[in-house]
Amino acid sequence: MPSSSSSDWSDWIRREEDPARVSEKPEALDDLVVLDLSHAHYGALLASTYLAELGAEVVKVEPPEGDPARSWGPPDVALRGEGLAFAAEARNRYHITLNLTSRAGRSLLRGLAARADVLVEGFRPGYLDSLGLGYRQLARLNPRLIWVACSAYGQFGPQAANQPAEYDLTDQALSGLLHISGDPEAAPTRLGSWITSYAQAAWAAMAVLAALHWRRRSGRGQMIDVSGAEAVMRYLEYSVLLYHTAKQVRGRTGLYERAVFPYTFVRVKDGFGFIAGYTDQNFGAICRIMGRPELARDPRFDSTLQRTRPENEVLLRDEIEKWSVNYTADEILDKVLADRGPGVVVFGPLNSPTRTLGEAHWWERGCFRRIADPLYGEMLVSMPVWRMTRTPPRLKWPCRPRGYHNGHVYGARLGVGPGRLDELRNKGVL
Amino acid sequence: MTPEYFRWAERLFDLTGAALKPEALAGIRVLDLSVIILGPATADFLGELGAEVIKIEMPGHGDVTRILGDRSFFWKNVGVAFFGMNHSKYHVGLDMHAPAGQEVIRKLTARSDIVVENFKAGTLEEKFGLGYRQLREVNPRLIYVANTGFGQWGPFSRGRASYDGLAQSVSGLTAITGDGEIPTRSGNYIGDWFGACLSALGALAALHWRERTGEGQFVEMAQCEGLVRAMDWTWLYAGLTGRDRPKTGNRDPVFPTSGVFRCADGYVALVAGTDAEFRALCRLLGRPGLTKDRRFSSAAARRAPASAGALDRLIADWCAGKSRAEIERRARAARVAAAPVMTAKDHYESAHFRARRSVWEHEDPVYGPMVEYGPAPKLSATPARIKWAGKPVGFHNEFVLKKVLGLGDDEILDLERAGVIGKWADRLGAKPPDDWPARAFIQ
Repeated sequence: MPSSSSSDWSDWIRREEDPARVSEKPEALDDLVVLDLSHAHYGALLASTYLAELGAEVVKVEPPEGDPARSWGPPDVALRGEGLAFAAEARNRYHITLNLTSRAGRSLLRGLAARADVLVEGFRPGYLDSLGLGYRQLARLNPRLIWVACSAYGQFGPQAANQPAEYDLTDQALSGLLHISGDPEAAPTRLGSWITSYAQAAWAAMAVLAALHWRRRSGRGQMIDVSGAEAVMRYLEYSVLLYHTAKQVRGRTGLYERAVFPYTFVRVKDGFGFIAGYTDQNFGAICRIMGRPELARDPRFDSTLQRTRPENEVLLRDEIEKWSVNYTADEILDKVLADRGPGVVVFGPLNSPTRTLGEAHWWERGCFRRIADPLYGEMLVSMPVWRMTRTPPRLKWPCRPRGYHNGHVYGARLGVGPGRLDELRNKGVL
Repeated sequence: MTPEYFRWAERLFDLTGAALKPEALAGIRVLDLSVIILGPATADFLGELGAEVIKIEMPGHGDVTRILGDRSFFWKNVGVAFFGMNHSKYHVGLDMHAPAGQEVIRKLTARSDIVVENFKAGTLEEKFGLGYRQLREVNPRLIYVANTGFGQWGPFSRGRASYDGLAQSVSGLTAITGDGEIPTRSGNYIGDWFGACLSALGALAALHWRERTGEGQFVEMAQCEGLVRAMDWTWLYAGLTGRDRPKTGNRDPVFPTSGVFRCADGYVALVAGTDAEFRALCRLLGRPGLTKDRRFSSAAARRAPASAGALDRLIADWCAGKSRAEIERRARAARVAAAPVMTAKDHYESAHFRARRSVWEHEDPVYGPMVEYGPAPKLSATPARIKWAGKPVGFHNEFVLKKVLGLGDDEILDLERAGVIGKWADRLGAKPPDDWPARAFIQ
């Protein structure tokens, strides 16, 4: 067994994953063409983004006036007219405009779909079908097409028809996430980012790749239905099973996690920190680091069963906080890292985003980058999440104005020349 | 939309005969060397889509998630938190510290497509000789998926362990959540589950590449970076302004007419994100004239704190005294996005989520009738599915060693006598229910 290779592995894998050399390597999905029909729909936009980061050629189809999502962002800052939410996630695409309510527009979309591998959309269920552009119509032209439809309630089931527009907040409610987040004495607390859209997108892209695998064997495409609410409902662990087994309704527990403890925020000298060590051995390590080894033997805290009793969780968190308030987060982290075991303690500061940006770790790993885009200027972007030794994902360009690639895409994919393009533009088709 | 579309969709996605339909990832074998949530869920999601998953655990105790929670979590000798990321797996109890155990892992790897692990960076190579560089020797086509908190390299990668709660804390996600001073963690382990989704997605991208070229590779996903990547405009905003985005509590900062409102039997979430939805909301509230009120007549005007506060009060007054069901029904008729804040009981009783099998009822051979959350994506031709529930430690030792490695009873007995493989200890979490039907056991 190798024993001296402790630095070898990290040196080796760092070289293999070197963010500076990503462009020397091939892209996993560069044989795929994806039509992104996301319209005022962040989950569908993101699903296409993941595929685009992994190398697919993604063509984003917008109405002539642009995707309403282009205006989404905070009220006080925009980026050359684009909302920041859109500018952050519309990367690596070819942007074209197309009026799907015109006959010529529908015909062009059929032409694009006939040779696409994947179509991603987030319209109200049935809308594209009503235009003659639904899965069942386009699959006749292209039986290999894989179609992903994103919505709040899904394409089937008793509540599918006449559903409202999909928003992250309403999905957080339906998923059950809201009900279990926050303080039990107060209203449920919304998770601060559009997490349901990200979850919906990850499921959608994952399902697309599974469907591609099956297509290779069967020659057949299929339709995939992804609800943003169910995307996060699947993340709710044991909630529905605990209701089944014990008729217990999982509620909000704030700082007092029910399944494991300690696993909580505590005050530190300079704010808050997160601390966890819930197995017997890891809890022993917390007690040792605090200089309170006797706590690990206290009958109220000496097993997972005891530590997770609601009344004991409160007592235990108080004990930890009595200690933690005397140190800064960095001082506590130093103590945790200096401990030689047995057991492992997990600790870190509660970072504001700008504090996270101040940590060298993320920059060294290429998690963030500052880019100077010729159209949008200076941008601080978060980079693709996967590190892959053979086919690393990448950011090629951040965003482009609506219709920016009309000439290229219509010319290359459908043989439409500049004269015909002008004509279509004048008729309001593009 | 025509009712006809929905009749067609009902037929297309009909799940009544789902078990007989093909599976998207049939023929793909995943070796799951991970514990807790992030790694096991990665393998689980691939399993829902049809991959065969073999889960390796220490003989005796097994995965720690088997014993989480207080007494109320325990059901038929196991903690309910164990099941959500351990469906349809083959459970092997095997000691990877033993050289003979490492040899079994190498043999299983040679016959697998994907290995999933979530040890601290470098551990499998240094402590077990089972890292990517060793395992690719026995299987050059291997896709090796490594999940960690901070990644395989970089200043935080050594010595720092991570859990979901830490990822929420250091990523900045907690800092943009809620509005008070006391931090709010997502009520579930969002960084684990979402990270696992990303991880499974990365594995399938690598599989796509392998089918094109025959080449395997190493895929890593760091949980903290997964959440960093899920914070929409946070970073762009910080880059342009040098500031943190403000905390806005339950009001979505992009759609200011939004919030979570108390009603007679719980809470509802409501968003009016467009002018059309705002007009619809005013009609719903019985105040159509509001659209002409200067305080509310444009999206910019509605964003002003006084306007937003006034709207909050109007919506709160309208919701008070109504049930969630009434609000959802009336909002839907009015084309306003309003949704009940659903509880586990609501999910359990929801005809909609039952019909979609997002709430999935099944009968397990060992545990009997169970109701769990079912696969999220619905694939029309190859529906994802739960086949059976998580099993006691080592439940499938014989089955896997015979079927996958072709060992005989005598060889298996030798491994057992040497302590290399083993089943459950007589303790909560690891062992079967007291009255388990032995006929469920596969020899």
